[in-house]
Amino acid sequence: MERIPGSGVRSGNCRDNKQEISVEIFQIGEEIRRLMTENLLQEAPRPETGSSFTALLGLPENQAMELLNSPESYDSPAILTADIWRERGKDQKTLSYPFNCSPTFPSNAALVERAARFSIFAAAQNSPQTSSVPSNSSENSLKLKNETTDSESNPTILNKNQISLKRKERQKKGLAKKSKNMGDESSKLPYVHVRARRGHATDSHSLAERARREKINARMKLLQELVPGCSKISGTALVLDEIINHVQSLQREVEFLSMRLAAVNSRIDFNLDSLLAAESGSLTDGNFPGMVMPSMWPDVPVNGTRRQQHHNQHQQLWHVDVGRDNHNFISQPNSLFSYDSTN
Amino acid sequence: MGARSSFKLEFLKKWALGLKICSSLAKDMSFLERKKAIKLSADVAMASARDGTTCWSRALIANASKQDDKKIIVRTMLGSEFKKITKSSSSGSFKPEKRVRSKKILRRSCAITRIRKTATKRVLACSIAKRLVKKRTQVLKGIVPGGESMDEVSLLEETLDYILSLQAQVDVMRGFANTQVLSNPK
Repeated sequence: MERIPGSGVRSGNCRDNKQEISVEIFQIGEEIRRLMTENLLQEAPRPETGSSFTALLGLPENQAMELLNSPESYDSPAILTADIWRERGKDQKTLSYPFNCSPTFPSNAALVERAARFSIFAAAQNSPQTSSVPSNSSENSLKLKNETTDSESNPTILNKNQISLKRKERQKKGLAKKSKNMGDESSKLPYVHVRARRGHATDSHSLAERARREKINARMKLLQELVPGCSKISGTALVLDEIINHVQSLQREVEFLSMRLAAVNSRIDFNLDSLLAAESGSLTDGNFPGMVMPSMWPDVPVNGTRRQQHHNQHQQLWHVDVGRDNHNFISQPNSLFSYDSTN
Repeated sequence: MGARSSFKLEFLKKWALGLKICSSLAKDMSFLERKKAIKLSADVAMASARDGTTCWSRALIANASKQDDKKIIVRTMLGSEFKKITKSSSSGSFKPEKRVRSKKILRRSCAITRIRKTATKRVLACSIAKRLVKKRTQVLKGIVPGGESMDEVSLLEETLDYILSLQAQVDVMRGFANTQVLSNPK
């Protein structure tokens, strides 16, 4: 932490401006609070904290950076959503303080005015310059701040508001985590040990019901992932609609394909080679060499010994076949099978 | 993918077996008969590839073997497993029908009294949603083979499995149809 020399001197000048500053800072604090609640309610620790800040700022970012880079020797005022930084910092450990913090408060009236206009500074770039971060509500910063004479009155106004906000956020996050964990538990264990949540009924019936409901919801989620286009839909009835449509369409396809197959061949006994070849095309290649040989031999029941005999003979053919087009394989002469006259 | 491709292979084997049996039984079949035979053998093959572990497969086979002409085919296809599968599926089918019938009567009588009670909008919305979901589950039960005698949880599991195997079946059949077209250009 760097202390800016001459802070004592500046304090004298500032006493006049204190009240102005306090008013302005209070307004800024309101803005900050509003933005914080908006931002944090949308949720989640985002990996890039910088981008969220720039999003928050929008336009003022450039001007903020200007301010930061201003050649003035004193600290550029940075009245911060220090809370947000700290929260994010805890989660991702990327940010502790983006600026080298010095506890002195903005003393220059002009700077403070500018700060009032651009309320939040982007933490995106690590500015090499020292700029003060009057980080309000945490214990550490309080200690630092108390050392300077300026900052005593001002942060206290902001402190209380921001502390209460922080608590609310933590509560929300805690609840969310709890509910997630509970959901996981109940879907994994065969025996569901469900703890009654705060504000919910605790008799065995409702617990059992809740466990059942969570089971059903877990299955529904799986189904949603399986059926294409279902993940966006919310609501059980619509999801079930989609599932029904999907199943019906699959069944119709099976019928249609069987009709097509019936139309292609006048007799049913298909070319077995083509059957096997179709499989070699559609299955993944890695499975084939190790796979059990398909034991579809005419008039031969599924028999282990026979499989072995023919296995070696066909091994070469199969290896040849993998990766080639199906019709190439079919055209090759095959000693064991007789080609059926399919027309 | 390993499990899926082994399932496909199993399916293919049994399907080819079934087709052979069909062709050996009746030499000249009309178009429709052929189509039915193909479909039947495909379905039974799909179900037997599951080996009776799932409810829908057992129900499918049970349904297929209700008609005499199909029964023979199914039996020869499955061989020894046939008895196992039909035994396990025969017991559970009768009760739920009676349950359904009495439930309907009950529901009608209850609905009349219920409508007078539910005044608030929220409760109405909830009941409407529940009714929609119930309708959908009824439809789903009709579609999935053997769905009648299942409760909601197992119904969803069965649909999951059924969808997966249907997809595999469609893939195999489509691939096969394509090769047929390729090998016999008309």
